[in-house]
Amino acid sequence: MTLTHYLTLGAIVFLIGIFGALTRRNIIGILMSIELIFNAANINLAAFNRFLHPQGVAGQAVALFFITIAAAEVVVGLALVLAIYRNTDTVYVEDFSLLKG
Amino acid sequence: MNILSLITFIPVAGALVILCLPKEAEKPIQITALIASGLSFVFSLFVLYAFDRTTPLMQFTERFSWIPSMDIQYALGVDGLSFPLVLLTTFVTVLAIIGSFGIKERIKEYFFWFLILEAGMIGVFEAQDLVLFYVFWEITLVPMYFLIGIWGGPKKEFAAIKFFLYTLSGSVFMLLAILAVYFNTNPHTFYLPDLMAANANWSPRFQILVFLGFYFGFAIKIPAFPFHTWLPLAHVEAPTAVSVILAAVLLKMGVYGLMRISYGMLPLGFHWFLKPLIVIATINIVYGALCAMAQTDMKKMVAYSSVNHMGYCLLGIAGVTATGFQGAVMQMITHGIITGSLFLLVGVIYDRAHTRDISAFGGLAVRVPVYAALMFLACFASLGLPGLAGFISEFFCFLGSFQAWKIYAAISVLGVLATAAFFLRMMEKVFLGPFNNKWAGLSDINARELCSILPLTVMTVALGIYPKWALDIMNTTLVHMANMFK
Amino acid sequence: MLEHAYLIPLLPLTTSLIILLFFKEDSHSPAPYLGLAAMFWCFVQSVVIFYGAASGASALPYEANWTWFSFAADVAGKGFTVPMPIGILIDGPASVMLVVVTLVSFLVQLYSLGYMHGDPRFKRYYAFLSFFTASMLGLVVSSNLLVTFACWELVGVSSYLLIGFWFEKPGPAYASKKAFMTTKLGDCGLYLALLLIWAKFGTFNITAMTVSAAMPGYLSTAAATAIGLGILFGAAGKSAQWPLFIWLPDAMEGPTPVSALIHAATMVAAGIYLVGKTYFIFVHSDIAMGAVAWTGLVTALLTATMALVAYDIKRVLAFSTVSQLGFMMCALGCGGYTAGLFHLTTHAFFKALLFLGAGSVIHAVHTNDMRQMGGLAKKMPFTFATMFIGTLAISGIPPFAGYYSKDMILEKVYAYNHVMFYLLTFAALLTAFYMFRMVFLTFVGDDRDHEKHHHAHESPWVMLGPLVLLAFLSFVSGFGLEHGGLFERLVNFKLPEGLVPETEAPAHLGLYVTGLVVASIMLSWRLYGRNDFRLAESLKSRFSILFSVLENRYGMDALFLGLVAFCDRVAKFAFWFDSSVIDQFFVDSWGLVTTLLAELSALVDNIFVDRTVDGFGGLSMDAGVLLRSLVTHGQAQEYLMYIAVAVSLFTILILSR
Repeated sequence: MTLTHYLTLGAIVFLIGIFGALTRRNIIGILMSIELIFNAANINLAAFNRFLHPQGVAGQAVALFFITIAAAEVVVGLALVLAIYRNTDTVYVEDFSLLKG
Repeated sequence: MNILSLITFIPVAGALVILCLPKEAEKPIQITALIASGLSFVFSLFVLYAFDRTTPLMQFTERFSWIPSMDIQYALGVDGLSFPLVLLTTFVTVLAIIGSFGIKERIKEYFFWFLILEAGMIGVFEAQDLVLFYVFWEITLVPMYFLIGIWGGPKKEFAAIKFFLYTLSGSVFMLLAILAVYFNTNPHTFYLPDLMAANANWSPRFQILVFLGFYFGFAIKIPAFPFHTWLPLAHVEAPTAVSVILAAVLLKMGVYGLMRISYGMLPLGFHWFLKPLIVIATINIVYGALCAMAQTDMKKMVAYSSVNHMGYCLLGIAGVTATGFQGAVMQMITHGIITGSLFLLVGVIYDRAHTRDISAFGGLAVRVPVYAALMFLACFASLGLPGLAGFISEFFCFLGSFQAWKIYAAISVLGVLATAAFFLRMMEKVFLGPFNNKWAGLSDINARELCSILPLTVMTVALGIYPKWALDIMNTTLVHMANMFK
Repeated sequence: MLEHAYLIPLLPLTTSLIILLFFKEDSHSPAPYLGLAAMFWCFVQSVVIFYGAASGASALPYEANWTWFSFAADVAGKGFTVPMPIGILIDGPASVMLVVVTLVSFLVQLYSLGYMHGDPRFKRYYAFLSFFTASMLGLVVSSNLLVTFACWELVGVSSYLLIGFWFEKPGPAYASKKAFMTTKLGDCGLYLALLLIWAKFGTFNITAMTVSAAMPGYLSTAAATAIGLGILFGAAGKSAQWPLFIWLPDAMEGPTPVSALIHAATMVAAGIYLVGKTYFIFVHSDIAMGAVAWTGLVTALLTATMALVAYDIKRVLAFSTVSQLGFMMCALGCGGYTAGLFHLTTHAFFKALLFLGAGSVIHAVHTNDMRQMGGLAKKMPFTFATMFIGTLAISGIPPFAGYYSKDMILEKVYAYNHVMFYLLTFAALLTAFYMFRMVFLTFVGDDRDHEKHHHAHESPWVMLGPLVLLAFLSFVSGFGLEHGGLFERLVNFKLPEGLVPETEAPAHLGLYVTGLVVASIMLSWRLYGRNDFRLAESLKSRFSILFSVLENRYGMDALFLGLVAFCDRVAKFAFWFDSSVIDQFFVDSWGLVTTLLAELSALVDNIFVDRTVDGFGGLSMDAGVLLRSLVTHGQAQEYLMYIAVAVSLFTILILSR
């Protein structure tokens, strides 16, 4: 198992996440896809640490930090989704165009 | 800190204190203004005490670099020409401040501007550096603009703007002249004594041009014919105390500049201009008196009489003699005192009757005897009655210029006659004759007004009987000035 | 006593200030007594000085100077600090004048106790009187012409204040102004003379000037003429000489004692006195002397004729005063220095007497109009007797005072110029005529206004006392002063060679003139003395034009009023010029031009400059709007896609290098 394998896995997960975030209509789905992107990055961090600086733990530490942040972010994201759903009775992104200039 | 700086900047300090006071605190504001101007006056009395009357040199000098890159200095000093004017300024300002205790609206701003104005005027007379001089000169404009424009009469905005723009347009030429002088000395300097020493290198043509630049600035301030028309308007619209300052001090800045800078620094230009100057002086005297004769408004009449009286100053200066200079300086002092009290007195009647129309009154001497007596005294002093201050100064002006300009002096004597005519007519119409019952409720002058007017009256009499006191301060300097280019 | 002489003017001055500042206005105020005491002290001092001079005990002239102030002056083109002295100079004329002024002033103050009793401004009256006397005495004793001039002006002001004493009435208010302005016009001449004197002599000290002027060739004729004419003009103003005599008749609006003191005895004599004081300048110029003589003569004649037709008792006296001053002026001009000042002295006594007597009459009948009087001799015997003495004195009947002085004048004039002599004699005859006319109309004949006559009464003794004393002086002062050449010894001026007349007056000239005067009095009796005015009326109607010319004072008043109106017109024009031409046309229109320029540049600014700037802004706005509408629909995923595409593209770009 070389670094390339890990990076390839990270890239695949990342692309799945991107694909999901671009194509899902449901906000929940999009959130889940974003989690995938996060985790792709975490894989990369851990892999780089393991293969490039095996004596250090900085990569793993940052990965752990990310996981915590992601958990918090999901909480906020889900709360937002809940609030949106309560107000508009929908969780499909095409129904929102508030950003339109 | 040097005493001259103290005299100049104590009013500024007072103004800053006033800024910190709440605007409802009317009494504290008035008292602060009084104390600041009073302190300034007391310090100038110290200078009077310590003043060396035997030297023509600058005294109490202070000098340090202000903007070194252009050799602009903060240089102050007084001599026998400028010190009497400083003393006049501090003295009259105290009285004018007492006189403005009757102001009811926007007291805080009023006294703030008044003190700033005082600082500017004192600075003009003390400055020994042309840039400093110019700065002080311009500083006086701003307070004056607000004082006329806010607390003035019905046409106050117009009067204020006219005053401001007219005077400013004069100063612009003065600034040009200052710069011309700066660039024509080597090394470049604005320091007045150095410039006076350097004038020998300047060509007559250059001196004449520079003279004209300065003259334009000074003539508007004096005001010399034909640049005098802002004066009646400004006086009529200005509140009483501001009129007092305007007539008593502000006009003197022009004459002072003419003597200090135009004569001292540009002798060739000055001598080139003598002939026009004497003509202007004569016109000021006769024409000013005639215009005053045609007035129905007391204040406007006094304003035109100022034009007439400043003509005597010019007459004295145009003689280029020691006596003439003495007459001019003395005339500045006495005119300041006399016209100051005249404006205050006119203000008193205006406060009560709300009119200044000469023909609206009649027989007031019965109703307001003290006021009438003070007014008579001031009028007689102004028309040059011996024993009162105006006579000696006027006489010196004539004496000084008579040698050189016999015909013009003789014509100017007619101005004295016309002055008597309009003052007497005013007194007859206002105070004598049958009492006009419309004014039965008129009250005589009150204690506060008396406080502001009486010192001037006392000075009028004192200087008339014993002018030695004032003349001794100036003698040495003026003799030296007169001999400077002989 | 001479070393305390400076107190003589200072004491009344102090008194006046004390009265004015510290006394309350009430009818029982002690102010008059203070004034009287001060005046009496001055009088005693003056008498002592005069006695010393007359007996030869004290050497005159006495001079003492103090430095008043120092001023910057030019001596020979260089500036120096020069002292200006103030001081007293008591010479013969001054010693005589001192007595005259202090005496008349004292008597007038005494008289005023009765005359002004109950006036609401009693205290002020005394303050003004004291002030006047102080200035007059200062004028008399000053050793410095500048100080003399100062006092001269102060005298004018006191005259202004006293003429206008009853200022609630329009008459006095106007008259005081007229008097002040007319004398001020004269003062302009004096002012110029002072300037010339300084230019010529470099000093105002009279003694020093006299010494300089005596040096041969020091004072050119031209300079002396110019200075002399200037002084004469000033003196003409103050002494009411032609053409400036117009103010004196109006000045009679003041209280009568004031007229007696100021406008008869002292102030109006100041002009004569001044000419006397500067006589050393006049003698250097024939023109100036001639001008003095002719001015005096013309005045004497003109005003004497005016007095013929006046009905106001005070005006008659005023005209006669001017006329007598003309006599003095004429005498001075003819080289009769002593004669002129002699007449000045005697005239002061009898004219003060006449005025005070007239005051007594007015006090009794409350009118000035002689047509409402008549027959008062019985009611007021003392007043009549004293006034009659005064009239005899002024008419020049020996041995009364006026005879001696007038005789002396006529002798001098005879020697100078025969024509002048005849004209002046004619004026003297007229004097006798109108003075007796006045006496006849007032005291003799039937009472013409019964009401007024009925209420008439003799005045109190405080008023009669001064009358009696003055009558006594009018009687004795003539021969008393002439006795043994006393006056000539005190008051003399040694004329230079050229001016001493070659012809002597014939002996008994005075007697011939007296004969004519008596004839003139007879004529006056015929016309006015016998209750029969038909002849006078018929004369009046026959020469009505002449009468109206005289009543209008030869149109001199109208002339001066015209002059004043002209000055007003000029003043109005000057002000119109100032406000319309200079201010509005030049200054304000300059402002207007500037404003218009500003409007124009604002317009240019708005149209070209600002539009351009706005245009650029608008352009970018429009571009933004266009782009926005192309790319955004508000879909979050769309944005995400753009980002993803962009990142991919950049990645490909970076990797492909």
